[in-house]
Amino acid sequence: MARRADEEYDYLFKVVLIGDSGVGKSNLLSRFTRNEFCLESKSTIGVEFATRTLQVEGRTVKAQIWDTAGQERYRAITSAYYRGALGALLVYDVTKPTTFENVSRWLKELRDHADSNIVIMLIGNKTDLKHLRAVATEDAQGYAEKEGLSFIETSALEATNVEKSFQTILAEIYRIISKKSLSSDEPGPASIKEGKTLVVGGSEENTKKPCCSSS
Amino acid sequence: MAKKRIDDYEPGPVPPPAPLDRFGFVKRELSYSHDGSMKERSAYEYEREERRVRKWRKMIGVGGSDWTYYVKRKPHVVKRRIRKGIPDCLRGLIWQLISGSRDLLLMNPGVYEQLVIYETSASELDIIRDISRTFPSHVFFRQRHGPGQRSLYNVLKAYSVFDREVGYVQGMGFLAGLMLLYMSEEDAFWLLVALLKGAVHAPMEGLYLVGLPLVQQYLFQFDNLAREYLPKLGEHFTQEMINPSMYASQWFITVFSYSFPFHLALRIWDVFLYEGVQIVFKVGLALLKYCHDDLIKLPFEKLIYALRNFPEDAMDPDTLLPMAYSIKVSKRLEELKQDYEKKNQKLVQSTEFNEKQQQSQERFLSSKRS
Ligand SMILES: Nc1nc2c(ncn2[C@@H]2O[C@H](COP(=O)(O)OP(=O)(O)OP(=O)(O)O)[C@@H](O)[C@H]2O)c(=O)[nH]1
Ligand SMILES: [Mg+2]
Repeated sequence: MARRADEEYDYLFKVVLIGDSGVGKSNLLSRFTRNEFCLESKSTIGVEFATRTLQVEGRTVKAQIWDTAGQERYRAITSAYYRGALGALLVYDVTKPTTFENVSRWLKELRDHADSNIVIMLIGNKTDLKHLRAVATEDAQGYAEKEGLSFIETSALEATNVEKSFQTILAEIYRIISKKSLSSDEPGPASIKEGKTLVVGGSEENTKKPCCSSS
Repeated sequence: MAKKRIDDYEPGPVPPPAPLDRFGFVKRELSYSHDGSMKERSAYEYEREERRVRKWRKMIGVGGSDWTYYVKRKPHVVKRRIRKGIPDCLRGLIWQLISGSRDLLLMNPGVYEQLVIYETSASELDIIRDISRTFPSHVFFRQRHGPGQRSLYNVLKAYSVFDREVGYVQGMGFLAGLMLLYMSEEDAFWLLVALLKGAVHAPMEGLYLVGLPLVQQYLFQFDNLAREYLPKLGEHFTQEMINPSMYASQWFITVFSYSFPFHLALRIWDVFLYEGVQIVFKVGLALLKYCHDDLIKLPFEKLIYALRNFPEDAMDPDTLLPMAYSIKVSKRLEELKQDYEKKNQKLVQSTEFNEKQQQSQERFLSSKRS
């Protein structure tokens, strides 16, 4: 089947959205993929999925994003989706200190279930609620540095830094991937070694599709 | 006692009036309406509806007095009528009769009140966080801290105290919300108890316990059933690496109340309460079958989208449900359950669990169910 123009891309990156319930993961996703924000959004049950194709470092990248339910008990189903993800957006709510305190538990989840070289970005969401802020930017920044994560603050409501956060993590993934394929002497942007289905050269005929490896 | 309770809040502003459908959901322009009332109901249909209600009233008797007798004598008549849909005005009452929740209520006077007023729950904040994210487009639940949200909070909090092992889990709010549109808080609470504890059918609590064991089992069973029933589609799913946890978890966790058209969800609930969880499998299979020829052509992403957004004609209860009824699943479900249990030998763990749980609930129940 011939691929339609809007489906052409150089790379396919799988990214997961994680973090406590209610921090705004689903709204960050809808802001990024559809430019929508919903004050009346439903809590996520299980996992949701959306994609967007965009330009990253001059390449066409398709971001395939899995949004997970934040409540702890749901990890029984959601953690399967970490596998094969190249990036993780770990979200907390700047107005709720507990959601920031739980970041370390989420990191542990990733360590237990995700690939070890996964790129992680810490996101403090809901910066529009200035009068309710309870987690200082510096604290989160310091924590991120200590843990080796990139860090950004966003507002899904006001569409502040949402685009930038996704751009940043996708660019970071791209840099790691392209370095890898250089060092392994592969011609052009093909898949990385050992049958990881995650990165896809768009020009190939039987492009291997999604990279969701959960079974 | 400075505990934060939702009752301490002033109700928020009443949301601006918006056009509502027959069930009280805000009408959305582009999507399907919840009541499926695209077509005007004709005079003939009204008459038919009236005749149905009269039949049903006869079946119930005064205050439900004839019901048990009727169900014993003519279970197949009851089953047939329920499959055609319970009249909306009698739904709340019938649901309580067929689920066994009314008996629980009568056996345990005062228990609900005690749970709501005197007990505190570790899940209170979790519940509050989700209240405004449960049926946000329904007029009853839209007003912040309004009567709908308060009732929802009370029922969920009461349950989380009643069964601390389950507590509160995202998704339970949709069950409680659906019930509250048809009955009082206390009735809804006991219906929740009847379902999760298995008053009539298999207990549902495993959908919400740590590890979500029953979700995992149901997904395993559904995956296998779908592959056996629709082998070509199953093959396509394998190729595209699609598995049911990507689209069907919420079917089981909320019994289709999370994102399906409301009029369809109600019809499924009618049958679900009388016949049990099998109907969820049957409806799921019927959906796949109905859309089979389209689904089989779609690549991964479009496939996921299609599995989460079935077309309107597929969700017409009068087409979908007869198709679902014609699918036989009970024998295979039982076999697959045993396969699953063999795969996961965790029986020891779960019995320990149940014992602990029993103790925590016996405090509240005056007499145990038979
Ligand atoms: N003020 C403000 N509110 C937000 C923002 N992002 C999300 N919200 C609100 O926060 C609530 C939770 O947002 P969701 O996107 O549903 O949260 P989630 O992280 O997906 O939660 P789960 O699905 O339960 O894991 C909703 O009421 C949103 O409207 C934001 O940037 N600013
Ligand atoms: Mg969400």
